[in-house]
Amino acid sequence: MDSARWERIQTLFHQAAERPADERAAFLANACGDDDLLAAGVLAMLDEDARGASLLDQEVGEIAGRVTGGEDVPGALRQIGAYRVLKMLGEGGMGVVYLAEREDLGSVAAIKILRDAWMSPARRARFESERRTLAQLNHPSIARLYDADTLRDGTPFFVMEFVEGVPLTEYCRTQGCGVRETLRLFRAVCEAVHYAHRHAIIHRDLKPSNILVKADGSVRLLDFGIAKQMDPAGGPMNVEHTRTGLRMMTPAYAAPEQIRGQSVGIHTDVYSLGVILYELLAGRLPFDPVHLTPGEMETLMVEGEAQKPSAGADLDVLCLTAMHRDAERRYGSVEALIRDVDHYLEGEPLDARPDTVGYRLGKFVGRNRRVVMAAAAVLVLVAALVIVFTARLESARNAALAQTARTQRIQRFMLNLFDGGDKAAGPAQDLRVVTLIDHGVQEARSLNAEPVVQADLYETLGGLYKKLGNFEQADVLLRSALDRRKALFGANDPGVAESTVELGLLRVDQAKLEEAERLVREGLVKTKNLRPPDEVALAKATVALGEVLEARGAYAQAIAVLEDAVKLQSAQGAATPELAASIVELANNHYYAGHYDVADSLNQRALAMHRQLNGERHPLVAEDLINLGAAQYDRGNYSDAERFDRQALDITEKFYGRDHPETAAKLTLLARALIKQEREDQAEPLLKRALAIRERVYGAVHPQVASTVNELGTMALKRGKLDEAQTDFRRMIDIYKSVYHDQHYLIGIAVSNLASVEMERKQFTRAEQLYREAVRRFTETQSAEHLNTGIARIKLGRALLRQARYQEAEGEALAGYRILSKQASPSVSWLKNARKDLTSIYEALHQPEKVKQFQTEIAAQPALAAAR
Amino acid sequence: MPRDSDYGTVGETPEERRELDYLFSLTYEELRRLASSVRRGDPSNTLNTTALVNEAWLKLAHSPRFGSTSVLHFKRIAARAMRQLLIEAARRRTADKRGGGVVGITLDESAGELAAGDRELLALDEALEELARLNARQAMMVEARFFGGLDMAETAALLDISEATVLRDWRAAKAWLAQQIREQHG
Repeated sequence: MDSARWERIQTLFHQAAERPADERAAFLANACGDDDLLAAGVLAMLDEDARGASLLDQEVGEIAGRVTGGEDVPGALRQIGAYRVLKMLGEGGMGVVYLAEREDLGSVAAIKILRDAWMSPARRARFESERRTLAQLNHPSIARLYDADTLRDGTPFFVMEFVEGVPLTEYCRTQGCGVRETLRLFRAVCEAVHYAHRHAIIHRDLKPSNILVKADGSVRLLDFGIAKQMDPAGGPMNVEHTRTGLRMMTPAYAAPEQIRGQSVGIHTDVYSLGVILYELLAGRLPFDPVHLTPGEMETLMVEGEAQKPSAGADLDVLCLTAMHRDAERRYGSVEALIRDVDHYLEGEPLDARPDTVGYRLGKFVGRNRRVVMAAAAVLVLVAALVIVFTARLESARNAALAQTARTQRIQRFMLNLFDGGDKAAGPAQDLRVVTLIDHGVQEARSLNAEPVVQADLYETLGGLYKKLGNFEQADVLLRSALDRRKALFGANDPGVAESTVELGLLRVDQAKLEEAERLVREGLVKTKNLRPPDEVALAKATVALGEVLEARGAYAQAIAVLEDAVKLQSAQGAATPELAASIVELANNHYYAGHYDVADSLNQRALAMHRQLNGERHPLVAEDLINLGAAQYDRGNYSDAERFDRQALDITEKFYGRDHPETAAKLTLLARALIKQEREDQAEPLLKRALAIRERVYGAVHPQVASTVNELGTMALKRGKLDEAQTDFRRMIDIYKSVYHDQHYLIGIAVSNLASVEMERKQFTRAEQLYREAVRRFTETQSAEHLNTGIARIKLGRALLRQARYQEAEGEALAGYRILSKQASPSVSWLKNARKDLTSIYEALHQPEKVKQFQTEIAAQPALAAAR
Repeated sequence: MPRDSDYGTVGETPEERRELDYLFSLTYEELRRLASSVRRGDPSNTLNTTALVNEAWLKLAHSPRFGSTSVLHFKRIAARAMRQLLIEAARRRTADKRGGGVVGITLDESAGELAAGDRELLALDEALEELARLNARQAMMVEARFFGGLDMAETAALLDISEATVLRDWRAAKAWLAQQIREQHG
């Protein structure tokens, strides 16, 4: 079709539309001559026009569903209230902090703007009352809150005393505080918290970054009560965004009841203080998120036990009592905690008693997965490191020998981390990479006499921590590397450029995208200005920029940048891991942008390269195959997808083992491709295996397990295995109830699925009960007008229909039908079902006109949105 | 970034284009921020695009970069940004390739339909691209009205045509697009 034809079509359309409906076909036949296609096209358009229920008649928001949370880019801020913004101090999960001054008073303050805080009128009122209370907190150890207000658009901001200091944990570490000194500082913190509690203010978000120590050794607590503004129900704290906008809880300091969304109180702050003390004494967190996914973390937090901090029996008891997962067993107040700290300092016995049942060594669930993935990452990094140094070797002439020596030292160092293991054989079962890296850091620290090597090692190790998800450690190390390199070589050194880029990439993982882009661009500019030019580093920095842009969702920009990088890296001639990685990145961006063919050819290229570089049986090869499979699946080529997924599964099994979560993931993908081809009998054993793995790794009560169980249940239902389906769905309900505590729409889905089983059994009353419950749940957790609620009501109507309760059935079916009509295009099968049911109902009620109405496929409802 | 830099202004210099790109990015980010805050406030909220675009304008109007931009011009950018935002989100949701993440929960038979909204949106996006090839102004109209929430008067002003023409073109475009979506999506 071209523009001219389109014009013709439109003209005919408008002309035909003016004629009565029964004359249109004739008119078009006449006007189009023997161009049947033309006539048919216009008729189809007229048909759509008559329905009046097209997609475009609705609010796009109703169709678009959930938009996953995005990162915040504050516009250029100059003025906040009476304050003039001087500079940005920092960015955190909750908001941005600026340094600002009041010109009329000549004073400075820190202003924190809360990101994405939703200010309904009720919340605004509470905000008002709270700012008055908060402003009353007048304690030497609490940063004063001067004012709180809102910007024009309702975003709340807090004006606070500007405190220059370092976080408590950092202070104790760098000052080398002994136990007593640490406890004295800790006690000062407790006093402040206790003071606030006496004013009925709970902090809710105590963590080291909120506790600063000034140069004179005095402490300041920040952000009292601000956390409350973030969530009306006082729900989970410390949410931070991941790259893809998924909320990832970092509940390291949050009490179990906080995570579960239950009420907070004094005991919640006590818990956080306990965790902080643990960290001060043991040098690490009791529940280290390094190893775990957020789901695992949550499970561990509410069920697991912490290891002893091993700071002496009494301090262990003190710590663990404060942070007991059962709120009743904690210190009842901060005052009680202070008392025991005093007891300890005086050498007196504590009031708290050790928990005889507890003190078991903690189990870190799912450790294997992260560790093994990290090992693979380490291998990639080693290769990369060697290549980078080799390239530098080629370009530096005078320092050639010194470089060689450095390279060899680094290589030896890295190899030693593996205790001489055979790299090609895959990771050893007990490889605890984190321990190895910790040792690596210790060793690196001892290399003060070789600052250059030390900086290199910090850089590498920081990168490894980043891959493991331990961003705090990574931050420390990467910044150290950058500072050292700057000090040693000046700002225009290749190492400095590289470190800047690495730090920028870390910021991506920390969801600080503005800073990420700034750093990476800075690093890229520095790299471009290097003399002699360093192509490898330039390519690496370019790819990094591509990653940042991808993280910001700027796919087209990312594609442009990555194409540059690939061009650069291809110029080397040979296949390198970096080039392969860039190609994969580029392929991903094309995939997200919907360019499937381009993504495919790129993934094939990457696949060939990975095979060449790493051999056939390597996880990166498996990932390429998965990507190829995904593109086929999306396009409906299920047998092709199956082919790729099978190969990927084979490799994954051999590399990670049969019982590994990565294997479970591949099994699930393959099963889905099989189900789409109606080969459920082959899919079932795969899903059962995946289930077994996930149960073992995550425990029986986990959303991952529930979703696998759901797939099995759905399959069982389809094949008529009703008992099995029932067991599955009941289990799914149990799991979701445990994990989400009755307030989640997924429970509704599970209940609805269970009801379907009862329907198959012809137990219609029972099904009716369950559907009613499902409707209630969807209404409560989503809305009365939600798609799920609509479908559930139609199903409820059907259950009533089968019981011959026609009037009631009509009510539900109509309600559901109405809801669905407002959302989906009329061809959705549930609308068809509803129409069928309503036809049956009206036949039974002897209302033939209504029967006719629903029998014809035209929607009887007028367009529900007014014509815009 | 929009796939085709079609803002309709003639004779753009590279500087102007860069400026436009920057404005677009700002708008995109702001809309994304606003959209997610709607969601966080109440998960069952639907997006009212008109309101979002207006809010974004309030926010960004103060920014010096937007100084010389008119509301209408902004809304045109915002419409494109909104389209980008929603299409990307729809793509992400339908691209569940990892398998290790949250497995799509199915409501037995309606397994496909929960994702219907996303697929429809993607189908619309493609069809809109096709329409842009046939009649750029008409495609812009759909984008502005549907994604940007511009009303009749604003659309007419934006495209410099009469409201009657808007109504006519809108009706035809709607019918054709719906047909395309149905054929593709089923």
